[in-house]
Amino acid sequence: MKKSIFSAVGLYVRDVLLGAWSITGSCMTAFPYLLRWGDLRKEVTEGYPDPISSKTADDLPTRSRGLLFNDIDRCTGCGECEKVCPSRCIKIKDEPGADPSKLWVSVFDIDFSRCIFCGLCVEVCQPGSLAHTRQYEGAAYQVSDLVASFGRGTVTDEHRSKWAILRKMSESDEASP
Amino acid sequence: MMNSDNSWIVAWSDSLGFPEAMPQWIYAAAALICTFCFVIVPCGALMSYFERKLAADLQARVGPNRAGPAGILQPIADLLKLLQKESRTEWNWKENIWLSVHTMALYSTLAVLPLGSMAVLVNTEMSVFLPFWAALVLALGTMLLGLGQNSVPGWFGGIRVAAQTLAGSFPALISLLCTGVRSGSFRWSSLAESQGFSPWDWTLLANPFQMIAFSVFVMSGLVLLAIPPLDGGLSMSDIHGGVASHLYGRRLSLFQFGRFYGFFFWSVITVVLFLGAWDLPVSLVNSLKSMGAHQLLALSELLWLLVKTFALMLLIIWIAKVNSRSRVDQITDFVWRVLSPFSLAALVGSSLWAGWRAF
Repeated sequence: MKKSIFSAVGLYVRDVLLGAWSITGSCMTAFPYLLRWGDLRKEVTEGYPDPISSKTADDLPTRSRGLLFNDIDRCTGCGECEKVCPSRCIKIKDEPGADPSKLWVSVFDIDFSRCIFCGLCVEVCQPGSLAHTRQYEGAAYQVSDLVASFGRGTVTDEHRSKWAILRKMSESDEASP
Repeated sequence: MMNSDNSWIVAWSDSLGFPEAMPQWIYAAAALICTFCFVIVPCGALMSYFERKLAADLQARVGPNRAGPAGILQPIADLLKLLQKESRTEWNWKENIWLSVHTMALYSTLAVLPLGSMAVLVNTEMSVFLPFWAALVLALGTMLLGLGQNSVPGWFGGIRVAAQTLAGSFPALISLLCTGVRSGSFRWSSLAESQGFSPWDWTLLANPFQMIAFSVFVMSGLVLLAIPPLDGGLSMSDIHGGVASHLYGRRLSLFQFGRFYGFFFWSVITVVLFLGAWDLPVSLVNSLKSMGAHQLLALSELLWLLVKTFALMLLIIWIAKVNSRSRVDQITDFVWRVLSPFSLAALVGSSLWAGWRAF
């Protein structure tokens, strides 16, 4: 069926009006952005971790390098990690301990604000005390909060006197039998 | 040719120490230079800042914020940066000639730009059409600028600019006639007198056909001068800016400022034709005139005109920023098949309306 002239004109006018409507629509969509109205001003808190897309620690690859952890009981305080660290984020202070053949690791600080998670320190660690965990959420409110301390604390006079007593006891134990 | 009431220019120029019997053409030249330096250039700087801030807001960005408070000095920083760019070593005489022609054609419209009841230099029955013809000459200069560049973007850009101008000029001319039909004359002064301060006295709201004529006039001006969103002739994505593709540094800033000026003068003309010109409330005008404060009146008329012009330009920029740009063939198609019939309908409608009112 051939279209009549009126229906053709009607369709034409309808198309023009639709075009004008579309342009107005896009302008009005952008309007709140000009005045920062409504939803744009509202603070939006999104669920974290996102149940759909976020990775959990279990989804990480087996060799992923998360935040470092030092098992201080196994740490010998040799300082290899401190030497090898390219960003110099590890600080170690050793003192003679209760057992004179071993070192008392009084300070073992890792500054995660400088750490680049290269993993060199873990590779050189002889006793295998330093290791990457699977934790990767290290955000903090203060930069100073990013320093992780694993040290035993400085040796006090109290410690010394206690160790001296222990040493005497063990010596007398060895001597008595 | 000259507007007889140029007392305000005399009042301004007296303080500069010109001799008594000055030829009028010196006044005219001084007025043009003053208009360019103190109206057009500051407007261009302000508008480029507003445009960037508006675009930033629409896209949820910050926009310029480093140079000066809230980035207000950014246009100056941009200008200084462009001015110290090195110029190219080889000399393209065609490009230089046509860039000068383009620029001269552009700023020849300054002479016919109405900026207030006392700042109308050319006020004849033809004056409304003069900027229109200047826009056509400008398109010729732009086209030849592109053709003189010996590059594919230049050739295509030039031809596209010509196609857009030819398309845009027809509905622009027809919708221009609609305003003359209402005011009964094409003098700037009578066009302004036929309107008033209140929006209800504007040509835009006189009748529905004038509304159509207004939209057609604005859109066809955007096509004619290739201003976003209807700037397919200078499209970046397929012809690398067309005519502007080989321009950079000082020449590019000259060309870009020319494009801004084209946008500006078309908006000024639209405001004068449709949006109440420079008309202030009658009581205010009378009291200022009785006080003899002609300079203050001229300034406030200019400011009121510029405020409306800026509002119109920001509206167009808003539309341009949130809508996708059209291809050049879609633009010309739109002009011939939509704008032209609508402009003719507006002309017929507004003529009938005027005839009905006359009886």
